[in-house]
Amino acid sequence: MAEEIDEFEAQMGLRKQEKIEEKVFAELRLRRGAYGQRYDNGHRYDGTRTQEIAFPRRGLTKGPDTEFDAPGMQRIKIPFGKMTAEQLEVLADCAEEYSNGILHITTRQDVQLHFVDIEDTPDMHRRLGAVGITTREACGNSVRNVTGCPLAGICTTEEFDISPYARAEFLFLLGHPDVQDFGRKFKISYSGCSGEGCGRAMMHDLGFIAAVRTVNGQPEHGFRVVVGGGLGPVPHLAKELYAFMPESQMLPVSQAISRVYARLGEKRNRAKARIKFLVAQLTIEKFRELVDAELAALEPDPRWQEWVDQAEKAAQEFLPAPVTNDGAKPAPGFEEWASTNVYDQRQKEFVAATVNLPLGDITSRQSRKLADIMRKYVNDALRTTVDQNLLIRWVWRQDLVSLYNDLYEAKLVLSGAGTITDVTSCPGTDTCKLGISSSRGLSAELRARLEARSLQFDKTLKHVQIKVSGCNNSCGQHHVADIGFYGSSRNIGAYKVPHFLLLLGGALEDNAGNYGLAIGAIPSKRAPETVDRLLDLYSAERLDGEMFRAWVMRVGKKAVKEKIQDLMEVPPYEQDKSFYVDWHDSREYSIGDIGVGECAGEVITLTEFSIASAESKLFDASITVDDTNATQADLQEASRQAYLAMVLASLGLLKTRNPDAKNDPDQVFEDFKRLFIDTKLFFERYIGSQEWPYFQAAHEAKGASRDRDEARRRVEEAQLFIDASHACYARLRQTTVGGSPAVSAALPS
Amino acid sequence: MANANEGPQRICMKLYAAETGIGDQVYVPIFQEWIRDQALDGLVLFDVADYAHVPDSPGIVLVTHEATFALDRSDGRFGLLAQRRVNGKGDAVDTVASTLRQMLQVASKLEADPRLGGKLEFDRSVIRIEANDRLRAPNTEEGYRVLEPVVKKAVTAVLADKAPKVSRVPNDPRDRLAADVRVAP
Repeated sequence: MAEEIDEFEAQMGLRKQEKIEEKVFAELRLRRGAYGQRYDNGHRYDGTRTQEIAFPRRGLTKGPDTEFDAPGMQRIKIPFGKMTAEQLEVLADCAEEYSNGILHITTRQDVQLHFVDIEDTPDMHRRLGAVGITTREACGNSVRNVTGCPLAGICTTEEFDISPYARAEFLFLLGHPDVQDFGRKFKISYSGCSGEGCGRAMMHDLGFIAAVRTVNGQPEHGFRVVVGGGLGPVPHLAKELYAFMPESQMLPVSQAISRVYARLGEKRNRAKARIKFLVAQLTIEKFRELVDAELAALEPDPRWQEWVDQAEKAAQEFLPAPVTNDGAKPAPGFEEWASTNVYDQRQKEFVAATVNLPLGDITSRQSRKLADIMRKYVNDALRTTVDQNLLIRWVWRQDLVSLYNDLYEAKLVLSGAGTITDVTSCPGTDTCKLGISSSRGLSAELRARLEARSLQFDKTLKHVQIKVSGCNNSCGQHHVADIGFYGSSRNIGAYKVPHFLLLLGGALEDNAGNYGLAIGAIPSKRAPETVDRLLDLYSAERLDGEMFRAWVMRVGKKAVKEKIQDLMEVPPYEQDKSFYVDWHDSREYSIGDIGVGECAGEVITLTEFSIASAESKLFDASITVDDTNATQADLQEASRQAYLAMVLASLGLLKTRNPDAKNDPDQVFEDFKRLFIDTKLFFERYIGSQEWPYFQAAHEAKGASRDRDEARRRVEEAQLFIDASHACYARLRQTTVGGSPAVSAALPS
Repeated sequence: MANANEGPQRICMKLYAAETGIGDQVYVPIFQEWIRDQALDGLVLFDVADYAHVPDSPGIVLVTHEATFALDRSDGRFGLLAQRRVNGKGDAVDTVASTLRQMLQVASKLEADPRLGGKLEFDRSVIRIEANDRLRAPNTEEGYRVLEPVVKKAVTAVLADKAPKVSRVPNDPRDRLAADVRVAP
């Protein structure tokens, strides 16, 4: 590890002398977990105009369009979330010295530090390496952190403890030659059971779900293996590759899958490069054939069995005896905290306690106090969780009150873990380069409002899960929440307005096996009111014991949408400017000096009308694909409607060029390609268009789909295409209305 | 990077204040405006971070290339925490002195902001100065022997106080090496 860090430091020196290409250095630093951060292109919108940031070495870059002096984010892998007290202390030191004293826990059990100067990263990596933490392959096209149920080993529903297997997987694949040539990232998860959601195997590129079968009267450990799941803009549920694979085959299967993916996965088009697209394209049957063939051809590796043998000898995590008597008087709030944050372990003498972290954040000083508490009560039994919390395991039941009192002193006793108030959020526009809306701002607002109402919530209401992402890349896992939001923007008059697309009825159960239904875009400032309305409706209409997802499915998303339709409206700018500013920000959410011309206004109206029609058409299609009673003919029609929605969105953009453009699909496709694709007008700067291939594929198929999965995917893709059309339209207005000749010059006559 | 003989380049310092009773979010538009106007001499301002949802945290943070300025409660007391982000141009004394000037500039500008209604007033008689570099300035007696003269020289240079009283802050050895500087009013 030390040599690798030295090498990285040398590479950084070479980059400063511009002796390494910026693209190459970007991938090198990504593979060390050193990621970009918002504004690292050296520009920032200040509410009135975009200003250049005067970094001292302006022009020296650490990647394409990424200023060397701009701070970045450091992602730190914590395999299956297991962390020792010593590791927590070193992380706290690094956060304090190289960041701003905040450790952020991610939805994939990593730790992230923000505002890090890249010059500090080699020292930081050495300090982390000294306590057994690596940042290697935390970003980039590599095997990311291997996640696992934080309750592994103590869970009441698990088949067996997956921790040692997740550890073996992490160690086996880290730096393995067969995982160095992927077209995109690759995420692996281990789950101890099939029914709960802690492991979330179904939304991973590769998921292992513990299973036990009986052979000759003896239990045999193994895994159900699923592959090709993923969230992101186009979510896929994983498909079963093997119903049962013996534990001895776990590592070779991973290796074989990696080889198939490296060999056949898309490399050029990032939007289609995740393994989920390969599995969907090949079909799971063909993919299985290929993996079987690779398995048969693999050179045996002694590590396959060595690590499995080690798995049988998992270390004991708990202290030999309680450290307190049970006479302690609890600090205020104990009962409420215990009702939501304490889990009764399978081992009756023990409990696990969740440290509920607001938005996944904990300070360095709190972390050191927590390390002390760990040493006192549980030694090293701590896990980060996929809900952005920390789980203290193996607490002697007798020590619980004393543990609470110590956590209370450290201000780490926020109750409501895993309940409606425990809102999950990705970093969003706070620090992420891709963020569209302020997911953390909205989440903080929701948390505060829901905590104020929490006493009104009964058990089923408390069970409602809310998750927020700043964009459609799904780092906040909005697809698997009862109420999910992802960031989007819409044009109202001459302004841009922050929005969140609302999804309802996702679920964590069955390893995150049910994704939510898209309802529509809500103005950011009305998202809390929308949550209130939904909770009130659910309270009033639910049947006895009916959970939120079941209510949504029974009532239907069309009916739900009708009841919140008024909250989708945005008042004019002149009437209420607060809608044009995002949460916890004071800058106007706009792209600059946009004026409103009479002529442009006419064309804009036609465009907006057409895109709105596209959204309406798509909504109807989405209802059909979500209807379990839909026939094959219904699904075909829904798929065709999704295609036509893309046609309409394209037509809307074409109308910025020709208000009389006709809606013949073939003509629209050809004109759109000529005027918006060949000219790159539809492309996001530097990243091109991920959505154009969706339109191409739908057009080639004339909207047809093979099955429900494909029809559903087409609907999802159409939603993304429409979002991209909104974004493209906003860019066009920025350049044309503001008087820049750039767009006109780019257009063919 | 500075070696131990030169003293730490990576430092923090804090001015304390009584709680104002004004919510933390008030600082967001103030800092956003400062960024828009690049309102602080010698600093490149570019971001605002919001940790107000975390108890005893840095709260609202103004991020500049050179340093961050947080309305901080991470040690349990409210105040303005300045944290050097990158090495200074001179030696450790220069770095401490320039960061101190910058922090005082930020403090005065905040106190004068009408949105705070005169409720924010920093106590300038005691300044907490910390070495934020456990590798080069560990929280030990030896580390303090290096830090103390650096702090004295820097404070003297900035505040023209010929005899600032510097004392080591007894704290958890895992915390930053810290000194309190008492200056003449």
